[in-house]
Amino acid sequence: MTTSEAAPLPRENMGQPLARVDGRLKVMGRANYPADIPVNNLAHGLLVASGIARGRVQELHLDEAHAVKGVLDILTHDHIRGELEPPEFGTSGSSSIGPLHDDKIWHDGQIIALVIAETIEAAREAAMRITVDYKEEQPSTSFGSEGTETVAASEVSQQFKEDVKAGDFETAFDAAEVKIDVEYGMPTHHHNPIEMFSTTAYWQGEELTVHEPTQNVYGWKVEIARQLKIEPDRVRVISPYIGGAFGSKGPITPRTAIVALAARRLGRPVRCVVTRSQSFTTQTYRAETRHHIQMAAARDGRITAFKHEGWEVTSRPDPYVVGGTKTTGRLYNYGSVLTKVFLVKTDRPTPSYMRAPAETPYIYALENAMDEMAVALNMDPVEFRRVNDASQDAIEGKPFSSRSLMQCYDEAASEFGWSKRNPQVGSMRDGDWLIGMGCATAVHPANVAPCAVRITLRDDGHARVQTASHEIGTGVQTVAAQLAAEHLGLHPSMVQVEMGDTRLPPAPVTGGSSTTASVCSAIIKACEEIREKLARAAVTANDGPLAGRDPASVLLKNGRLVAADASQALKDVFKHVGSGVIEQYTEFRPDGASPDAVSNLYQGKMEMVSGEKGDMIKYAFGAEFVEVRIHRRTREIRVPRVVGAFSGGRIMNTRTARSQLMGGMIWGISSALHEATEFDWRSARVVNRDLQDYLVPVNADIQDVKVILVPETDTHVNLAGVKGLGELGNVGTAAAIASAVHHATGKRIRELPIRIDNLLG
Amino acid sequence: MTGTASPAIHISGAAALQDETRSPVPSTQREGLTVSMLINGQPYQFNIDSRTSLLDLLRDHAGLTGTKKGCDHGQCGACTVLTDGRRTLSCMSFAAMNDGWEITTIEGLSSADGDLHPMQQAFIDHDAFQCGYCTPGQILSAVACVEEGHAESDADIREYMSGNLCRCAAYPNIVAAVKQARNEMEKA
Ligand code: FES
Ligand code: FES
Repeated sequence: MTTSEAAPLPRENMGQPLARVDGRLKVMGRANYPADIPVNNLAHGLLVASGIARGRVQELHLDEAHAVKGVLDILTHDHIRGELEPPEFGTSGSSSIGPLHDDKIWHDGQIIALVIAETIEAAREAAMRITVDYKEEQPSTSFGSEGTETVAASEVSQQFKEDVKAGDFETAFDAAEVKIDVEYGMPTHHHNPIEMFSTTAYWQGEELTVHEPTQNVYGWKVEIARQLKIEPDRVRVISPYIGGAFGSKGPITPRTAIVALAARRLGRPVRCVVTRSQSFTTQTYRAETRHHIQMAAARDGRITAFKHEGWEVTSRPDPYVVGGTKTTGRLYNYGSVLTKVFLVKTDRPTPSYMRAPAETPYIYALENAMDEMAVALNMDPVEFRRVNDASQDAIEGKPFSSRSLMQCYDEAASEFGWSKRNPQVGSMRDGDWLIGMGCATAVHPANVAPCAVRITLRDDGHARVQTASHEIGTGVQTVAAQLAAEHLGLHPSMVQVEMGDTRLPPAPVTGGSSTTASVCSAIIKACEEIREKLARAAVTANDGPLAGRDPASVLLKNGRLVAADASQALKDVFKHVGSGVIEQYTEFRPDGASPDAVSNLYQGKMEMVSGEKGDMIKYAFGAEFVEVRIHRRTREIRVPRVVGAFSGGRIMNTRTARSQLMGGMIWGISSALHEATEFDWRSARVVNRDLQDYLVPVNADIQDVKVILVPETDTHVNLAGVKGLGELGNVGTAAAIASAVHHATGKRIRELPIRIDNLLG
Repeated sequence: MTGTASPAIHISGAAALQDETRSPVPSTQREGLTVSMLINGQPYQFNIDSRTSLLDLLRDHAGLTGTKKGCDHGQCGACTVLTDGRRTLSCMSFAAMNDGWEITTIEGLSSADGDLHPMQQAFIDHDAFQCGYCTPGQILSAVACVEEGHAESDADIREYMSGNLCRCAAYPNIVAAVKQARNEMEKA
């Protein structure tokens, strides 16, 4: 192995930077993503999407399309009605909007037909030849559009039952000496993983197989079966490698069951690849949000009052809540807290989760306000956070299970050189470039969910770990191999990992940064059960070097069962077991989960124990520092440096951890300066529905990104001691950049993204 | 109101514009087309629809699914292959335009006995991917980037690798990988 910044030396409570176990397959082009799986006699499906955002389909003219050579079938609402159960909002379902269930159009780009043909080319031509008569109604696009409906989230949501509050905000705010009253906005975002969304479905008799990139094979299996009105046991969902997800592949799509139905009608396999432009309207997205923050503090910097109101776009029928006030309300020692979340119903698809769904927008608003407050107090922004650091949460007074926030600030500040920052706005320059520096807190709840795993250990020292979790790029397969190897006393190359298939033991949705915690906890438990079995066999044997020992005192190491002064090779220990193999099936149920949590997992119903549940608040923390450079004349904005320090409990692998956090911070840069889904406000249609106009950073946009892993041990979060890092990195970055832009220019841009035109004049 | 749907290729605008995108020749009158090419050193011959892109030919006709589709519009770089040694977006090239050409895909980069190309090894060493989906395109682009002489400085590498999007955002690691492989490729 070379010395590389990619492989940081482990500090306390951190695992080795083992290179990815799937790396070789991936660099050779041999990792099969779902649309790569070869299938015989494949027919190609192509969606046809609505050209209006609200109204009805009066007539679809299909004759020309049917006449195209190679067209096999065209499904419209006439064919679906009664054949499928409509989708439901919640759990694995993203939306109750069932395209093709009737003629109603709820949003732009809704699926109105599925063309199946012998070739992609024929399907494309046929789709082009379909024309539609619509009965169009005036849609509502977003906040401020005519015809929207605003409701309190807590009154309509099953998941978000109350707005957190504490103390008497009004009195404290009125009495305070220094106060701010500000509004922020974050636009709609689309995940845009580089892998295109796709469904491949085929039937073998009564059995359905679906190849589709998903973060939730079990949940989908159950939901697909429900929609098709068949038993879940007849559905298999396979998703071995996923080409990026970020939340977009968690909720079931409105397309999947329709493609399965098409395959059944035709009696042959169908693959439907969603075009990039269609993915902007047939997949989920990050809801657009508006924030109103009022904050007050005493002259010494102690916050006495904090109010956070949020408005979130959702669809007409479904109350999806982002609800980040549950985190912002708990982050600092506020004195008093008042929060309220509202949903604004529009003619848009139902939004859903996207990388740190709650924290990305809500912490963006809070951390901006923290910077504005520090400026109002004439305090250093880091010191302002230190003064308001908390040992217990502001809402319920529960202690944090661990909180290394200020350690993160101190390590990142020192690496960044924060002490060299001149706080005076516009004071730092390098030639024509104005320099700005800003910082912000990153935070994400440490979530964990039930998980089952099967571990097979053979007497020749080979092991296999099987669980229906998902490799979306986080490195979970690598971490699973590494951890099982460590606990079974093997080299990681002896451990094979299988994931992403409903034939494997169930694992939760890969979301909420809960995967490493959940999968690793299950692996640790299973490995301990294997060790116990082997130990018991060795110590109760009539002879052998370990006979008569205390079973708790022997460990698995280097292919042997080892006591203080004696050991036995695995092969020989297995002789006492009377078999060449141990197959251990283990279910892990986290503390705080309901008694039915594991059996629910088999039913595709996931129960995540979130960081706020229980006697303690369990959060991962970080601190991010950025330097921006803004050209004096052109106002071009560059980000030459970002430093983030993060504490996430046990770090399983410093290499994959660093990469996730680095990717997260670049996502943060993207949300600050690049991405936004733009709408034509008259028609509620997406304007920039491709990768040319929906901006994401390219290589040239990114320069130095430094990740510091801050040691932390937390035995309260879960068996593995892991807090999860996938979503932590992109929380806070945008606020740090907005603060740095203010430091450089004196302009406080509160609506993202910050673009050149915001800084002109 | 009568309008068109938004089919495969979205054209935002009036129905008339979309009408122009319709194929002038109905496919009932289309003839198949025969193309031959050398892919990863192997001769291939295909009978295809003339509208088939090089990307779809590689994936669906040659079974070489290492080349990825990320947009089908020339905007992401996932489909990058080498055609007669030059990097090409295979989604933007009709297969027929490559008749008689030599194509290198990711499957052809490592040696037959499984030895990785220095660029492939460098991507592993520097963790230059997460999900791995953009990776075949990144690697082929990077090989060409070095061969073009566009990998002399970090700034050059960033610039000349900017046609390949990585949504997992492995960019700094990609730059480190290209540097390592550049040094090894120059030695070789
Ligand atoms: S698939 Fe060719 S550039 Fe995106
Ligand atoms: S590694 Fe996932 S898109 Fe690049």
